[in-house]
Amino acid sequence: MLSYILRRIVSTLPVMAIVALFVFSLLYIAPGDPAVVIAGDQASPEDVERIRQGLGLDRPFLVQFGSWVWRILHGDLGTSIFTNLPVSAMIGQRLGPTLSLMTVTLLLTIVVAVPLGVLAAWKAGSFIDRAIMAFAVFGFSLPVFVVGYVLAYVFALELEWLPVQGYTPLTEGFWPWLQNLILPAIALGCVYIALVARITRATMLEVLQQDYIRTARAKGMGQGGILFIHALKNAAVPIVTVIGIGIALLIGGAVVTESVFAIPGLGRLTIDAILRRDYPVIQGIVLLFSFVYVLVNLMIDVTYTLVDPRIRY
Amino acid sequence: MDRRTVLKGLAGAGGLALSGGISAPAIAQGASARTLRFVPQANLANFDPIWGTQYVVRNAAAMVWDTLYGIDSSFQPQRQMVESEEVTDDGTTWTFKLRSGLKFHDGEPVLSKDVVASLNRWAARDPMGLMIKANEQALTAVDDRTFKWVLKQPFPKLLFALGKNNAPVAFIMPERIAQTDPFKQITDYIGSGPLKFVKGEWVPGAKAVFEKFADYVPRQEKPSWLAGGKQVMIDRVEWIIMPDPATAAAALQNGEIDWWENPIADLVPVLKKNKNISVDIGDPLGNIGSFRMNFLYPPFNDVKARRAVLMAMSQEDYMRAIVGDDNSLWKSLPSFFTPDTPLYTEVGGDILKGKRDLSAAKKLLAESGYSGQPVTCLVAQDQPITKAMGDVTADLLKQLGMNVDFVATDWGTVGARRAVKTPPGQGGWNMFHTWHAGADCVNPAPYTAIRATGDKAWFGWPTSAGTEKEVSSWFEAKNLDEEKAAIGRLNKAAMDDVVYAPTGFFLGYTAWRKNVSGVTKGPVPLFWGVSKSA
Repeated sequence: MLSYILRRIVSTLPVMAIVALFVFSLLYIAPGDPAVVIAGDQASPEDVERIRQGLGLDRPFLVQFGSWVWRILHGDLGTSIFTNLPVSAMIGQRLGPTLSLMTVTLLLTIVVAVPLGVLAAWKAGSFIDRAIMAFAVFGFSLPVFVVGYVLAYVFALELEWLPVQGYTPLTEGFWPWLQNLILPAIALGCVYIALVARITRATMLEVLQQDYIRTARAKGMGQGGILFIHALKNAAVPIVTVIGIGIALLIGGAVVTESVFAIPGLGRLTIDAILRRDYPVIQGIVLLFSFVYVLVNLMIDVTYTLVDPRIRY
Repeated sequence: MDRRTVLKGLAGAGGLALSGGISAPAIAQGASARTLRFVPQANLANFDPIWGTQYVVRNAAAMVWDTLYGIDSSFQPQRQMVESEEVTDDGTTWTFKLRSGLKFHDGEPVLSKDVVASLNRWAARDPMGLMIKANEQALTAVDDRTFKWVLKQPFPKLLFALGKNNAPVAFIMPERIAQTDPFKQITDYIGSGPLKFVKGEWVPGAKAVFEKFADYVPRQEKPSWLAGGKQVMIDRVEWIIMPDPATAAAALQNGEIDWWENPIADLVPVLKKNKNISVDIGDPLGNIGSFRMNFLYPPFNDVKARRAVLMAMSQEDYMRAIVGDDNSLWKSLPSFFTPDTPLYTEVGGDILKGKRDLSAAKKLLAESGYSGQPVTCLVAQDQPITKAMGDVTADLLKQLGMNVDFVATDWGTVGARRAVKTPPGQGGWNMFHTWHAGADCVNPAPYTAIRATGDKAWFGWPTSAGTEKEVSSWFEAKNLDEEKAAIGRLNKAAMDDVVYAPTGFFLGYTAWRKNVSGVTKGPVPLFWGVSKSA
């Protein structure tokens, strides 16, 4: 297993390099110029050109790319064109809020979606099943920002239970941390919960028709034992896969959620950097996200072996 | 359903509910009454007011760095860091003395050498600074509190240049910081202004924090814009960046923020209905909408084509597209200058007055030789103001019978493409939209957009010898009457040659909680004199 994990990590390096080259090239050929944004609306073309030179943006593509790769190899993600701060520090500042949001969303999803999916499968064809699936379709169809605004209106403006916006670090207390994350996590989790609930239901239905389930029933095993000891464990592989792949959804959804709830996370940093053409920041974030995807895939593969002993590497 | 519709509906519903008597939440009001939470117009992405000249940077910098002079609400430069100044009879030698007791935030005294270095860095980036530099014999520190500026020719607008509030402002920094290349960003944010920047708490794109500078010695005069006594009544100002207007509106209603610099027009009615919120015009100098036509290529290299557009355009259409139905927020503007300011004139602006004459405009356009070639119209659709104007222009050009190539993209792309001088079919352009802060259009000194020096002019590269002649006349004017006369002639020349097309004058609101007092109107959000009760 250890050698498998090591092989997987090593094999991701070329993938990340290709992603990096692709992103760098894409930014280079995309229209837009950070110097223009920096210089402001009243700047002269000469000012803009001087700023471009100062930032090294007038250098040839290969020189810029080579310089960037060299820095990356030395553990330096570069410096933001706009803030003049190290990209790693900027990402570090934003990592906490995003990780917090994703963690709470993920926990919420697992706690809500998996039991709902199991329940729907158990009561397949009933009113409960139809209600859960209708809820799932509803959750899947609503844009994150709509859910966000509705939640903010009801729970912040009307009921005054929770704040509208912001983020408080965990170091300042569990409740202050959590209260800022509840509404965003629900908004972000809706799609995710719907997806996982549907997959759980479909997989459970398939498993529940297997012979060994019939045997367990015939031996007099209770419904709870059948569902949670036999069926759910055997349905876990696709569910784990969807939960893992869903992290991609979370990253995408976090961009909107962080804007709606003014959370200073990586999603907002990404959008800001793209709009300003802050190349080093975009490249740093893409590298990080690529790494996260690779890591998540690795964790999914490892988890397979834990939930299904038949899988060996 | 789009995002804007949803936010209007929900923020409206929330506003109605709150205006119905629901009090502000207890949960959200954890902050001290000595902390003012402010939502600025944009993200403070960098913090060097000389290197980057965005308004938001200027606004934050005005808290941290002080100036030698400050423009007051009468548009006059008043002494700020300076205690006295003397000018020789021939107008070429200025000697300045600094106030005693001025300190930087690191505890070091403000000395003449700091001023000299700061002015040198500022002058390298500022149009007026460049004019002064071209006319300079020497800028030297005489002693710790005295410095001298010796010019080759008199420059009557010198104090105005040192006190003007349009970017880049002549902020005074410590010498070691001011020696940074003006085209490279500073990393140390030490000033001598009434508030200190807390670098350790800066999260670019999310939050910027300023603390009261205990050793700041304000002037004794009443505050007036960037002049007078800057008395800070609060301990801490937190700038909270909120990209989403609906969130900012909800946070203001909820008491999570105290002051929102520029609420969008859609949400102002909601805020006005809330009994806990005050809403008023933020900057009385407002903004001038504009689109610029490229003088280098057909059809707008011909003045007849440019005039045809002016003849046909309706400023009301543009203004309603920007501000909606609130008539108090806009004015027609047969001028290039900010209404209700001392030099405002409508001389020569007849082409923008009266009923719009489409048929005469079409005839004039035909006389220009326009033969149906595509007109590339750049629009930044991520900026609501430019998008609104772009839609009106596209319709206008079609009515004129022009073949519109409507390029709707993001501001970053428009900003880059407008600098391209190649023909429109090869990456260039024919028109783009923008707007200018009214504070920058009160006279020609800060007014980059009115300059018409051809290849060296602002984007669109207008050439107008008459305009440039009158710009010089204004700089040389010895009194207000001469200035007004020069501006009248300038306005006419610029209108005749259509240096650019003004689309009208519009105002914006600002909104704050009623437990905040002392909010005043100005071209910059002013934090001195502002206090907050629990």
